[in-house]
Amino acid sequence: MGPTKCSLITVLGIALAAVLVGGIGLAQVEQAHYAPATLGQLEQPAPAALTDDSVYQISAYPEYTPELAEGEGRSETASRCALCHSTRYITMQPPLPAATWDAEVTKMRKTFGASIPDASAALITKYLKSHYTPETRN
Amino acid sequence: MANPPPAKPCAISRRSLLSFFGIAGGALAFGGLAGRLSAAQKGNPAVRSFTGPEENPYWNSIGPYVSEPQKSPLLLLTDRGVQLETPRPYFQTAITPNHAFYVRWHLESIPTAVDLKSWRLQVEGNVAKSMSYNLAELMNQFPQESIVAVNQCSGNSRSRFQPRVPGGQWGNGAMGNARWTGVRLRDILRASAPKAGSMQVQFQGLESGAGPEGYGSHFFQKSVDLDNPVLDECIVAYAMNGEPLPMLNGFPVRLVVPGYFATYWMKCLTWIRVLDKVDENFWMKTAYRIPDTPRGNTSPEDVKGGAVKTIPINRMPVRSFVISPDGGAKIPAGMPVQVHGVAFSGYASVTKVDVSSDGLKTWQGARLGEDLGRYSFRSWEFAWTPKLPGRYTLAVRASDSAGNVQPDEPVWNPGGYLWNRIEHQEYAVGAAE
Repeated sequence: MGPTKCSLITVLGIALAAVLVGGIGLAQVEQAHYAPATLGQLEQPAPAALTDDSVYQISAYPEYTPELAEGEGRSETASRCALCHSTRYITMQPPLPAATWDAEVTKMRKTFGASIPDASAALITKYLKSHYTPETRN
Repeated sequence: MANPPPAKPCAISRRSLLSFFGIAGGALAFGGLAGRLSAAQKGNPAVRSFTGPEENPYWNSIGPYVSEPQKSPLLLLTDRGVQLETPRPYFQTAITPNHAFYVRWHLESIPTAVDLKSWRLQVEGNVAKSMSYNLAELMNQFPQESIVAVNQCSGNSRSRFQPRVPGGQWGNGAMGNARWTGVRLRDILRASAPKAGSMQVQFQGLESGAGPEGYGSHFFQKSVDLDNPVLDECIVAYAMNGEPLPMLNGFPVRLVVPGYFATYWMKCLTWIRVLDKVDENFWMKTAYRIPDTPRGNTSPEDVKGGAVKTIPINRMPVRSFVISPDGGAKIPAGMPVQVHGVAFSGYASVTKVDVSSDGLKTWQGARLGEDLGRYSFRSWEFAWTPKLPGRYTLAVRASDSAGNVQPDEPVWNPGGYLWNRIEHQEYAVGAAE
Protein backbone atom coordinates (compact mmCIF):
# COMPACT_ATOMS: atom_id res chain seq x y z
CA MET A 1 0.00 0.00 0.00
CA GLY A 2 1.45 3.35 -1.06
CA PRO A 3 1.81 6.15 1.42
CA THR A 4 -0.87 8.26 -0.25
CA LYS A 5 -3.48 5.53 -0.12
CA CYS A 6 -2.51 4.75 3.45
CA SER A 7 -2.89 8.32 4.63
CA LEU A 8 -6.17 8.64 2.77
CA ILE A 9 -7.52 5.66 4.64
CA THR A 10 -6.23 7.16 7.89
CA VAL A 11 -7.99 10.42 7.12
CA LEU A 12 -11.20 8.60 6.29
CA GLY A 13 -10.84 6.58 9.45
CA ILE A 14 -10.45 9.69 11.54
CA ALA A 15 -13.39 11.34 9.81
CA LEU A 16 -15.53 8.26 10.40
CA ALA A 17 -14.51 8.13 14.04
CA ALA A 18 -15.37 11.81 14.38
CA VAL A 19 -18.81 11.14 12.96
CA LEU A 20 -19.30 8.15 15.24
CA VAL A 21 -18.61 10.06 18.41
CA GLY A 22 -20.95 12.81 17.28
CA GLY A 23 -20.55 16.20 18.85
CA ILE A 24 -17.40 15.45 20.77
CA GLY A 25 -15.34 14.90 17.61
CA LEU A 26 -12.52 12.77 19.03
CA ALA A 27 -12.19 9.01 19.15
CA GLN A 28 -11.12 9.07 22.76
CA VAL A 29 -14.28 8.51 24.65
CA GLU A 30 -17.02 5.98 24.98
CA GLN A 31 -20.17 7.95 25.62
CA ALA A 32 -22.57 7.13 28.40
CA HIS A 33 -24.15 3.73 28.73
CA TYR A 34 -27.31 3.70 30.79
CA ALA A 35 -28.83 0.45 32.03
CA PRO A 36 -32.31 -0.04 33.48
CA ALA A 37 -32.32 -0.25 37.27
CA THR A 38 -34.95 -0.71 39.95
CA LEU A 39 -35.47 1.72 42.80
CA GLY A 40 -35.52 0.26 46.29
CA GLN A 41 -33.02 -2.42 45.39
CA LEU A 42 -29.74 -1.05 46.57
CA GLU A 43 -27.48 -4.00 46.00
CA GLN A 44 -23.79 -4.02 46.76
CA PRO A 45 -22.04 -3.69 43.41
CA ALA A 46 -19.39 -6.24 42.52
CA PRO A 47 -15.88 -4.80 42.14
CA ALA A 48 -15.19 -3.76 38.56
CA ALA A 49 -12.84 -5.90 36.46
CA LEU A 50 -9.90 -3.62 35.67
CA THR A 51 -7.35 -3.77 32.87
CA ASP A 52 -3.91 -2.17 32.91
CA ASP A 53 -4.08 -0.55 29.48
CA SER A 54 -4.89 3.09 28.70
CA VAL A 55 -8.69 2.68 28.81
CA TYR A 56 -10.42 3.86 31.97
CA GLN A 57 -13.87 2.39 32.07
CA ILE A 58 -16.73 2.25 34.53
CA SER A 59 -19.96 0.30 34.54
CA ALA A 60 -23.16 1.60 32.97
CA TYR A 61 -25.05 4.38 34.70
CA PRO A 62 -28.27 3.05 36.22
CA GLU A 63 -31.45 4.50 34.74
CA TYR A 64 -34.48 4.55 37.01
CA THR A 65 -37.65 5.17 35.02
CA PRO A 66 -40.14 6.84 37.35
CA GLU A 67 -43.87 6.23 37.50
CA LEU A 68 -45.61 9.06 35.68
CA ALA A 69 -49.20 9.80 36.68
CA GLU A 70 -51.86 7.90 34.71
CA GLY A 71 -53.75 10.03 32.23
CA GLU A 72 -54.08 11.31 28.70
CA GLY A 73 -50.76 12.44 27.26
CA ARG A 74 -48.67 10.22 29.51
CA SER A 75 -47.01 8.17 26.77
CA GLU A 76 -46.45 11.26 24.60
CA THR A 77 -44.80 12.99 27.54
CA ALA A 78 -42.65 9.98 28.43
CA SER A 79 -41.44 9.39 24.89
CA ARG A 80 -40.81 13.01 23.83
CA CYS A 81 -39.16 14.21 27.02
CA ALA A 82 -37.06 11.08 27.48
CA LEU A 83 -35.33 11.68 24.14
CA CYS A 84 -32.98 14.06 25.94
CA HIS A 85 -33.42 13.37 29.65
CA SER A 86 -34.97 11.12 32.25
CA THR A 87 -38.58 11.90 33.16
CA ARG A 88 -37.42 12.19 36.77
CA TYR A 89 -36.87 15.81 35.70
CA ILE A 90 -40.68 15.97 35.91
CA THR A 91 -41.35 13.91 39.03
CA MET A 92 -38.48 15.57 40.95
CA GLN A 93 -40.12 19.01 40.74
CA PRO A 94 -42.31 20.43 43.45
CA PRO A 95 -45.89 21.07 42.31
CA LEU A 96 -45.46 23.96 39.87
CA PRO A 97 -48.11 26.47 38.70
CA ALA A 98 -49.71 25.80 35.31
CA ALA A 99 -47.96 28.84 33.82
CA THR A 100 -44.59 27.40 34.83
CA TRP A 101 -45.31 24.17 32.95
CA ASP A 102 -46.23 26.25 29.89
CA ALA A 103 -42.89 28.00 30.21
CA GLU A 104 -40.99 24.72 30.72
CA VAL A 105 -42.36 23.09 27.58
CA THR A 106 -41.69 26.29 25.63
CA LYS A 107 -38.14 26.36 27.01
CA MET A 108 -37.49 22.79 25.89
CA ARG A 109 -38.66 23.61 22.37
CA LYS A 110 -37.40 27.15 21.79
CA THR A 111 -34.36 27.39 24.05
CA PHE A 112 -33.12 23.79 23.88
CA GLY A 113 -34.34 23.07 20.35
CA ALA A 114 -36.40 19.96 21.11
CA SER A 115 -38.29 19.04 17.96
CA ILE A 116 -41.77 18.58 19.40
CA PRO A 117 -44.66 19.36 17.03
CA ASP A 118 -47.30 21.85 18.20
CA ALA A 119 -49.98 19.22 18.75
CA SER A 120 -47.62 17.10 20.88
CA ALA A 121 -46.49 20.10 22.88
CA ALA A 122 -50.11 20.99 23.62
CA LEU A 123 -50.82 17.45 24.76
CA ILE A 124 -47.70 17.31 26.96
CA THR A 125 -48.43 20.68 28.52
CA LYS A 126 -52.01 19.66 29.27
CA TYR A 127 -50.80 16.41 30.83
CA LEU A 128 -48.26 18.18 33.06
CA LYS A 129 -50.84 20.72 34.19
CA SER A 130 -53.34 17.95 34.89
CA HIS A 131 -51.00 16.10 37.27
CA TYR A 132 -48.11 18.28 38.47
CA THR A 133 -49.52 21.57 39.78
CA PRO A 134 -50.31 22.41 43.43
CA GLU A 135 -53.99 21.80 42.64
CA THR A 136 -53.54 18.54 40.77
CA ARG A 137 -50.51 16.71 42.15
CA ASN A 138 -51.02 13.93 44.63
CA MET B 1 -33.16 -29.64 81.67
CA ALA B 2 -35.75 -31.31 83.89
CA ASN B 3 -39.25 -29.98 83.78
CA PRO B 4 -40.42 -28.21 86.94
CA PRO B 5 -43.01 -30.15 88.95
CA PRO B 6 -46.52 -29.26 87.85
CA ALA B 7 -48.24 -26.71 90.08
CA LYS B 8 -51.19 -27.95 92.07
CA PRO B 9 -54.40 -26.88 90.37
CA CYS B 10 -56.07 -23.87 92.01
CA ALA B 11 -53.44 -23.68 94.72
CA ILE B 12 -52.26 -20.13 94.19
CA SER B 13 -49.63 -19.23 96.72
CA ARG B 14 -49.35 -15.77 98.17
CA ARG B 15 -46.01 -15.41 96.47
CA SER B 16 -47.25 -16.18 93.00
CA LEU B 17 -50.18 -13.82 93.51
CA LEU B 18 -47.75 -11.03 94.33
CA SER B 19 -45.65 -11.74 91.30
CA PHE B 20 -48.77 -11.69 89.12
CA PHE B 21 -49.67 -8.19 90.33
CA GLY B 22 -46.09 -7.13 89.93
CA ILE B 23 -46.06 -8.10 86.27
CA ALA B 24 -49.42 -6.45 85.68
CA GLY B 25 -48.21 -3.27 87.34
CA GLY B 26 -45.13 -3.25 85.14
CA ALA B 27 -47.24 -3.80 82.08
CA LEU B 28 -49.39 -0.81 83.02
CA ALA B 29 -46.37 1.41 83.60
CA PHE B 30 -44.82 0.43 80.23
CA GLY B 31 -48.08 0.40 78.30
CA GLY B 32 -47.19 3.52 76.26
CA LEU B 33 -43.72 2.28 75.43
CA ALA B 34 -45.01 -1.11 74.32
CA GLY B 35 -47.39 0.68 72.00
CA ARG B 36 -44.57 2.69 70.45
CA LEU B 37 -42.34 -0.32 70.03
CA SER B 38 -44.98 -2.13 68.02
CA ALA B 39 -45.29 0.95 65.82
CA ALA B 40 -41.53 0.88 65.33
CA GLN B 41 -41.74 -2.72 64.14
CA LYS B 42 -43.60 -1.44 61.10
CA GLY B 43 -40.28 -0.04 59.88
CA ASN B 44 -38.99 3.41 59.12
CA PRO B 45 -41.17 4.82 56.33
CA ALA B 46 -39.54 6.68 53.45
CA VAL B 47 -39.99 10.41 53.00
CA ARG B 48 -42.56 11.52 50.42
CA SER B 49 -41.46 11.40 46.81
CA PHE B 50 -41.74 15.18 46.40
CA THR B 51 -41.98 18.30 48.52
CA GLY B 52 -43.83 21.53 47.90
CA PRO B 53 -45.37 23.90 47.18
CA GLU B 54 -43.98 24.78 50.63
CA GLU B 55 -40.22 24.60 51.15
CA ASN B 56 -38.45 21.27 51.51
CA PRO B 57 -38.33 20.75 55.29
CA TYR B 58 -35.40 18.30 55.23
CA TRP B 59 -31.67 19.02 55.28
CA ASN B 60 -31.08 16.90 52.17
CA SER B 61 -33.19 16.47 49.08
CA ILE B 62 -35.81 13.72 49.27
CA GLY B 63 -34.71 11.32 46.50
CA PRO B 64 -33.99 7.64 47.16
CA TYR B 65 -30.49 6.26 47.71
CA VAL B 66 -28.97 4.85 44.54
CA SER B 67 -25.77 3.11 43.62
CA GLU B 68 -23.79 4.74 40.81
CA PRO B 69 -20.37 3.74 39.43
CA GLN B 70 -17.48 4.49 41.85
CA LYS B 71 -19.90 5.93 44.41
CA SER B 72 -21.31 5.06 47.79
CA PRO B 73 -25.10 5.24 47.93
CA LEU B 74 -26.07 8.85 47.24
CA LEU B 75 -29.41 10.63 46.95
CA LEU B 76 -30.91 10.58 43.48
CA LEU B 77 -32.20 13.74 41.86
CA THR B 78 -32.04 12.57 38.27
CA ASP B 79 -30.41 9.62 36.56
CA ARG B 80 -29.99 10.89 32.96
CA GLY B 81 -28.29 13.48 33.17
CA VAL B 82 -26.86 12.26 36.40
CA GLN B 83 -27.51 14.41 39.47
CA LEU B 84 -26.73 12.96 42.90
CA GLU B 85 -26.68 14.64 46.30
CA THR B 86 -24.27 13.95 49.15
CA PRO B 87 -26.00 12.76 52.34
CA ARG B 88 -25.50 15.00 55.37
CA PRO B 89 -23.27 12.69 57.47
CA TYR B 90 -20.44 12.92 54.91
CA PHE B 91 -19.89 16.54 55.98
CA GLN B 92 -18.75 15.49 59.44
CA THR B 93 -15.23 15.82 58.08
CA ALA B 94 -13.90 18.98 56.41
CA ILE B 95 -12.77 16.90 53.42
CA THR B 96 -15.60 15.22 51.52
CA PRO B 97 -14.68 11.70 50.36
CA ASN B 98 -14.56 11.18 46.60
CA HIS B 99 -16.98 8.26 46.80
CA ALA B 100 -19.60 10.51 48.40
CA PHE B 101 -18.93 13.72 46.46
CA TYR B 102 -22.10 15.06 44.83
CA VAL B 103 -22.63 14.85 41.07
CA ARG B 104 -24.25 17.26 38.68
CA TRP B 105 -24.27 16.90 34.89
CA HIS B 106 -26.44 18.83 32.46
CA LEU B 107 -26.55 16.54 29.44
CA GLU B 108 -26.87 12.80 28.98
CA SER B 109 -23.73 12.00 26.96
CA ILE B 110 -20.88 11.77 29.43
CA PRO B 111 -18.01 9.31 29.37
CA THR B 112 -18.36 5.70 30.40
CA ALA B 113 -14.79 5.17 29.24
CA VAL B 114 -11.87 7.43 28.40
CA ASP B 115 -8.83 6.18 26.49
CA LEU B 116 -5.82 8.13 27.70
CA LYS B 117 -3.87 6.98 24.66
CA SER B 118 -5.95 9.28 22.48
CA TRP B 119 -7.40 11.75 24.97
CA ARG B 120 -5.74 15.20 24.84
CA LEU B 121 -6.31 18.45 26.65
CA GLN B 122 -6.38 20.94 23.79
CA VAL B 123 -5.55 24.61 24.02
CA GLU B 124 -6.75 26.47 20.96
CA GLY B 125 -8.49 29.56 19.63
CA ASN B 126 -6.96 33.02 19.68
CA VAL B 127 -3.48 31.81 20.68
CA ALA B 128 -0.04 32.01 19.10
CA LYS B 129 0.56 28.33 19.73
CA SER B 130 -2.19 25.70 19.86
CA MET B 131 -1.19 22.86 22.13
CA SER B 132 -2.44 19.46 23.11
CA TYR B 133 -1.33 17.48 26.13
CA ASN B 134 -1.87 13.93 27.20
CA LEU B 135 -2.29 13.25 30.89
CA ALA B 136 1.35 12.24 31.39
CA GLU B 137 2.50 15.52 29.86
CA LEU B 138 0.19 17.49 32.13
CA MET B 139 1.57 15.65 35.14
CA ASN B 140 5.23 15.95 34.09
CA GLN B 141 5.70 19.14 32.08
CA PHE B 142 4.24 21.59 34.57
CA PRO B 143 4.81 22.34 38.25
CA GLN B 144 2.31 20.64 40.50
CA GLU B 145 -0.05 22.74 42.58
CA SER B 146 -2.62 21.80 45.23
CA ILE B 147 -5.49 23.68 46.79
CA VAL B 148 -8.32 22.70 49.11
CA ALA B 149 -11.50 24.24 47.79
CA VAL B 150 -15.26 23.93 48.13
CA ASN B 151 -17.19 22.99 45.04
CA GLN B 152 -20.84 24.00 45.39
CA CYS B 153 -23.60 23.80 42.80
CA SER B 154 -25.18 27.16 41.97
CA GLY B 155 -28.55 25.65 42.84
CA ASN B 156 -27.55 24.14 46.18
CA SER B 157 -30.57 24.43 48.55
CA ARG B 158 -32.89 25.41 45.69
CA SER B 159 -35.67 23.43 47.40
CA ARG B 160 -35.78 26.14 50.12
CA PHE B 161 -37.08 28.78 47.71
CA GLN B 162 -40.51 30.33 48.25
CA PRO B 163 -42.21 30.35 45.87
CA ARG B 164 -40.51 27.20 44.59
CA VAL B 165 -38.67 27.44 41.29
CA PRO B 166 -38.16 24.68 38.71
CA GLY B 167 -34.74 23.02 38.47
CA GLY B 168 -32.76 20.43 40.40
CA GLN B 169 -34.50 20.29 43.77
CA TRP B 170 -31.33 20.15 45.84
CA GLY B 171 -31.28 20.11 49.60
CA ASN B 172 -28.02 21.26 51.17
CA GLY B 173 -25.84 18.43 49.84
CA ALA B 174 -24.89 19.78 46.40
CA MET B 175 -21.49 20.72 47.75
CA GLY B 176 -18.20 19.15 48.71
CA ASN B 177 -14.69 20.04 49.72
CA ALA B 178 -11.58 18.35 48.33
CA ARG B 179 -7.85 18.77 47.93
CA TRP B 180 -7.39 19.34 44.20
CA THR B 181 -3.99 18.71 42.65
CA GLY B 182 -2.92 19.58 39.15
CA VAL B 183 -1.51 22.27 36.91
CA ARG B 184 -2.02 26.01 37.24
CA LEU B 185 -4.29 27.20 34.43
CA ARG B 186 -2.08 30.25 33.94
CA ASP B 187 0.90 27.99 33.16
CA ILE B 188 -1.10 26.22 30.49
CA LEU B 189 -2.36 29.51 29.02
CA ARG B 190 1.12 31.03 29.04
CA ALA B 191 2.51 28.10 27.06
CA SER B 192 0.01 28.88 24.28
CA ALA B 193 0.47 32.66 24.41
CA PRO B 194 -3.00 34.21 23.96
CA LYS B 195 -2.94 36.88 21.25
CA ALA B 196 -3.63 40.54 21.84
CA GLY B 197 -7.32 41.33 21.85
CA SER B 198 -8.28 38.08 23.59
CA MET B 199 -11.36 38.55 25.78
CA GLN B 200 -12.32 35.31 27.45
CA VAL B 201 -11.22 31.76 27.91
CA GLN B 202 -13.82 29.09 27.26
CA PHE B 203 -13.88 25.63 28.81
CA GLN B 204 -15.54 22.55 27.39
CA GLY B 205 -15.57 18.97 28.60
CA LEU B 206 -16.73 15.58 27.38
CA GLU B 207 -20.40 16.36 27.88
CA SER B 208 -22.90 16.55 25.07
CA GLY B 209 -26.58 16.05 24.48
CA ALA B 210 -29.12 15.11 21.85
CA GLY B 211 -30.10 18.71 21.12
CA PRO B 212 -29.24 20.48 17.84
CA GLU B 213 -25.94 22.30 17.32
CA GLY B 214 -25.93 25.87 18.57
CA TYR B 215 -28.27 25.04 21.46
CA GLY B 216 -27.43 24.51 25.11
CA SER B 217 -28.75 20.97 24.78
CA HIS B 218 -25.84 20.10 22.44
CA PHE B 219 -22.73 21.21 24.36
CA PHE B 220 -21.97 22.55 27.79
CA GLN B 221 -19.44 25.41 27.69
CA LYS B 222 -18.45 28.04 30.25
CA SER B 223 -16.22 31.08 29.92
CA VAL B 224 -14.33 33.43 32.20
CA ASP B 225 -12.89 36.87 31.34
CA LEU B 226 -9.18 36.55 30.58
CA ASP B 227 -8.38 39.39 32.99
CA ASN B 228 -10.41 37.92 35.85
CA PRO B 229 -7.98 37.40 38.77
CA VAL B 230 -9.69 34.12 39.62
CA LEU B 231 -7.85 32.60 36.64
CA ASP B 232 -4.61 33.05 38.60
CA GLU B 233 -5.96 30.62 41.20
CA CYS B 234 -7.48 28.09 38.81
CA ILE B 235 -6.08 24.58 38.61
CA VAL B 236 -6.55 21.92 35.98
CA ALA B 237 -6.85 19.10 38.49
CA TYR B 238 -5.87 15.51 37.76
CA ALA B 239 -6.14 14.39 41.38
CA MET B 240 -8.88 14.77 43.96
CA ASN B 241 -7.97 14.01 47.56
CA GLY B 242 -4.85 12.26 46.26
CA GLU B 243 -6.74 9.93 43.94
CA PRO B 244 -7.86 9.98 40.32
CA LEU B 245 -11.15 11.82 39.92
CA PRO B 246 -14.23 9.58 39.84
CA MET B 247 -15.62 9.52 36.29
CA LEU B 248 -18.78 11.22 37.57
CA ASN B 249 -16.66 14.05 39.02
CA GLY B 250 -14.72 14.68 35.83
CA PHE B 251 -11.98 12.13 35.09
CA PRO B 252 -9.35 12.65 33.74
CA VAL B 253 -9.08 16.38 34.59
CA ARG B 254 -11.45 19.07 35.73
CA LEU B 255 -11.12 22.78 36.16
CA VAL B 256 -10.99 24.09 39.72
CA VAL B 257 -12.15 27.69 40.13
CA PRO B 258 -11.62 28.47 43.83
CA GLY B 259 -14.37 30.55 45.40
CA TYR B 260 -16.62 30.30 42.35
CA PHE B 261 -19.75 28.22 41.96
CA ALA B 262 -19.26 24.78 40.40
CA THR B 263 -20.80 25.70 37.04
CA TYR B 264 -17.34 26.93 36.00
CA TRP B 265 -15.50 23.85 37.28
CA MET B 266 -15.64 22.06 33.93
CA LYS B 267 -15.55 18.27 34.30
CA CYS B 268 -13.65 16.03 31.87
CA LEU B 269 -12.04 19.27 30.67
CA THR B 270 -10.82 18.73 27.10
CA TRP B 271 -10.88 22.10 25.36
CA ILE B 272 -9.45 25.35 26.62
CA ARG B 273 -10.37 27.91 23.98
CA VAL B 274 -9.20 31.51 23.99
CA LEU B 275 -11.91 33.78 22.56
CA ASP B 276 -11.52 37.19 20.94
CA LYS B 277 -15.09 38.08 21.90
CA VAL B 278 -17.48 37.55 24.77
CA ASP B 279 -18.98 34.05 24.83
CA GLU B 280 -22.66 34.19 23.93
CA ASN B 281 -23.45 30.50 24.20
CA PHE B 282 -26.60 29.54 26.12
CA TRP B 283 -24.77 28.55 29.30
CA MET B 284 -23.27 32.04 29.59
CA LYS B 285 -25.84 34.34 28.02
CA THR B 286 -29.05 32.77 29.28
CA ALA B 287 -28.37 30.23 32.01
CA TYR B 288 -26.55 30.61 35.31
CA ARG B 289 -27.27 34.31 35.55
CA ILE B 290 -28.17 36.15 38.72
CA PRO B 291 -29.95 39.47 39.26
CA ASP B 292 -27.44 42.32 39.56
CA THR B 293 -28.83 43.20 43.02
CA PRO B 294 -27.68 42.73 46.63
CA ARG B 295 -27.52 38.96 47.28
CA GLY B 296 -28.94 38.36 43.80
CA ASN B 297 -32.35 38.90 45.32
CA THR B 298 -35.45 39.80 43.33
CA SER B 299 -39.14 38.89 43.24
CA PRO B 300 -41.50 37.07 40.86
CA GLU B 301 -43.24 40.41 40.23
CA ASP B 302 -40.04 42.16 39.18
CA VAL B 303 -39.07 39.26 36.94
CA LYS B 304 -42.49 39.40 35.27
CA GLY B 305 -41.98 43.14 34.80
CA GLY B 306 -38.88 42.24 32.78
CA ALA B 307 -36.61 44.90 34.23
CA VAL B 308 -34.21 42.67 36.15
CA LYS B 309 -30.66 43.14 34.89
CA THR B 310 -28.58 39.98 35.22
CA ILE B 311 -24.90 39.04 35.35
CA PRO B 312 -23.16 35.65 35.17
CA ILE B 313 -23.11 33.91 38.55
CA ASN B 314 -19.70 34.08 40.18
CA ARG B 315 -18.50 33.82 43.80
CA MET B 316 -20.22 31.83 46.52
CA PRO B 317 -21.70 33.77 49.44
CA VAL B 318 -20.74 32.81 52.99
CA ARG B 319 -22.57 29.80 54.44
CA SER B 320 -22.50 27.53 57.47
CA PHE B 321 -24.21 24.26 58.34
CA VAL B 322 -24.99 22.18 61.39
CA ILE B 323 -24.01 18.62 60.57
CA SER B 324 -24.32 16.75 63.86
CA PRO B 325 -26.29 16.05 65.93
CA ASP B 326 -28.73 16.08 63.05
CA GLY B 327 -31.92 16.31 65.14
CA GLY B 328 -32.88 12.77 64.19
CA ALA B 329 -32.41 11.48 67.74
CA LYS B 330 -33.66 12.80 71.06
CA ILE B 331 -31.10 14.31 73.41
CA PRO B 332 -31.43 13.59 77.17
CA ALA B 333 -31.69 16.82 79.22
CA GLY B 334 -28.44 17.73 80.92
CA MET B 335 -26.22 15.81 78.48
CA PRO B 336 -23.25 17.79 77.17
CA VAL B 337 -23.42 17.66 73.38
CA GLN B 338 -20.74 18.60 70.84
CA VAL B 339 -22.40 20.30 67.89
CA HIS B 340 -20.33 19.99 64.70
CA GLY B 341 -20.54 21.70 61.36
CA VAL B 342 -18.77 23.31 58.42
CA ALA B 343 -18.61 26.85 57.04
CA PHE B 344 -17.14 28.45 53.93
CA SER B 345 -17.12 31.58 51.82
CA GLY B 346 -16.15 32.15 48.21
CA TYR B 347 -15.07 35.70 49.01
CA ALA B 348 -12.60 35.38 51.88
CA SER B 349 -11.57 33.24 54.84
CA VAL B 350 -14.19 32.26 57.38
CA THR B 351 -13.25 34.17 60.50
CA LYS B 352 -16.12 33.41 62.81
CA VAL B 353 -18.95 30.96 63.32
CA ASP B 354 -21.57 31.91 65.91
CA VAL B 355 -24.35 29.82 67.41
CA SER B 356 -27.60 31.09 68.87
CA SER B 357 -29.95 29.05 71.02
CA ASP B 358 -32.42 31.86 71.76
CA GLY B 359 -33.87 32.71 68.38
CA LEU B 360 -30.97 34.88 67.15
CA LYS B 361 -31.06 37.25 70.13
CA THR B 362 -27.63 36.33 71.50
CA TRP B 363 -24.71 34.58 69.83
CA GLN B 364 -21.82 32.52 71.16
CA GLY B 365 -18.65 31.79 69.22
CA ALA B 366 -18.00 28.25 68.03
CA ARG B 367 -14.47 26.82 68.10
CA LEU B 368 -13.01 26.74 64.59
CA GLY B 369 -11.19 23.64 63.37
CA GLU B 370 -8.03 23.33 61.31
CA ASP B 371 -7.50 26.02 58.66
CA LEU B 372 -7.08 24.18 55.35
CA GLY B 373 -7.02 27.36 53.26
CA ARG B 374 -9.33 30.25 52.51
CA TYR B 375 -11.46 28.36 49.98
CA SER B 376 -11.88 25.23 52.10
CA PHE B 377 -14.65 24.13 54.43
CA ARG B 378 -13.78 25.33 57.92
CA SER B 379 -15.03 22.83 60.45
CA TRP B 380 -16.40 24.14 63.74
CA GLU B 381 -17.70 22.76 67.01
CA PHE B 382 -19.76 24.08 69.84
CA ALA B 383 -20.32 22.63 73.31
CA TRP B 384 -23.97 22.74 74.23
CA THR B 385 -25.91 21.34 77.17
CA PRO B 386 -29.69 21.62 76.94
CA LYS B 387 -30.76 21.76 80.59
CA LEU B 388 -34.48 21.00 80.45
CA PRO B 389 -36.73 18.84 78.29
CA GLY B 390 -38.38 20.65 75.44
CA ARG B 391 -37.84 21.87 71.89
CA TYR B 392 -34.67 23.79 71.08
CA THR B 393 -33.48 25.45 67.91
CA LEU B 394 -29.84 26.22 67.23
CA ALA B 395 -29.04 28.77 64.56
CA VAL B 396 -25.58 29.00 62.99
CA ARG B 397 -24.08 32.07 61.35
CA ALA B 398 -20.70 32.45 59.63
CA SER B 399 -18.71 35.60 58.90
CA ASP B 400 -15.74 36.05 56.57
CA SER B 401 -12.73 38.35 56.58
CA ALA B 402 -14.26 40.52 53.86
CA GLY B 403 -16.99 41.50 56.32
CA ASN B 404 -19.72 39.27 54.90
CA VAL B 405 -22.13 37.88 57.50
CA GLN B 406 -24.88 35.38 56.81
CA PRO B 407 -28.32 37.00 56.99
CA ASP B 408 -31.50 35.34 58.24
CA GLU B 409 -33.55 36.60 55.32
CA PRO B 410 -34.31 34.21 52.47
CA VAL B 411 -33.26 35.00 48.92
CA TRP B 412 -35.32 34.60 45.76
CA ASN B 413 -34.42 34.63 42.09
CA PRO B 414 -35.85 32.63 39.17
CA GLY B 415 -32.78 30.37 38.83
CA GLY B 416 -32.85 29.22 42.45
CA TYR B 417 -29.27 30.39 43.04
CA LEU B 418 -27.20 31.87 45.90
CA TRP B 419 -29.16 30.52 48.88
CA ASN B 420 -27.19 31.36 52.03
CA ARG B 421 -29.74 32.04 54.73
CA ILE B 422 -28.78 31.19 58.33
CA GLU B 423 -29.46 27.50 58.99
CA HIS B 424 -31.69 26.47 61.89
CA GLN B 425 -31.56 23.04 63.50
CA GLU B 426 -34.34 21.85 65.79
CA TYR B 427 -33.72 19.38 68.62
CA ALA B 428 -36.05 17.39 70.83
CA VAL B 429 -34.71 17.17 74.37
CA GLY B 430 -36.25 14.58 76.67
CA ALA B 431 -36.29 13.90 80.38
CA ALA B 432 -33.32 11.94 81.73
CA GLU B 433 -35.00 10.78 84.90
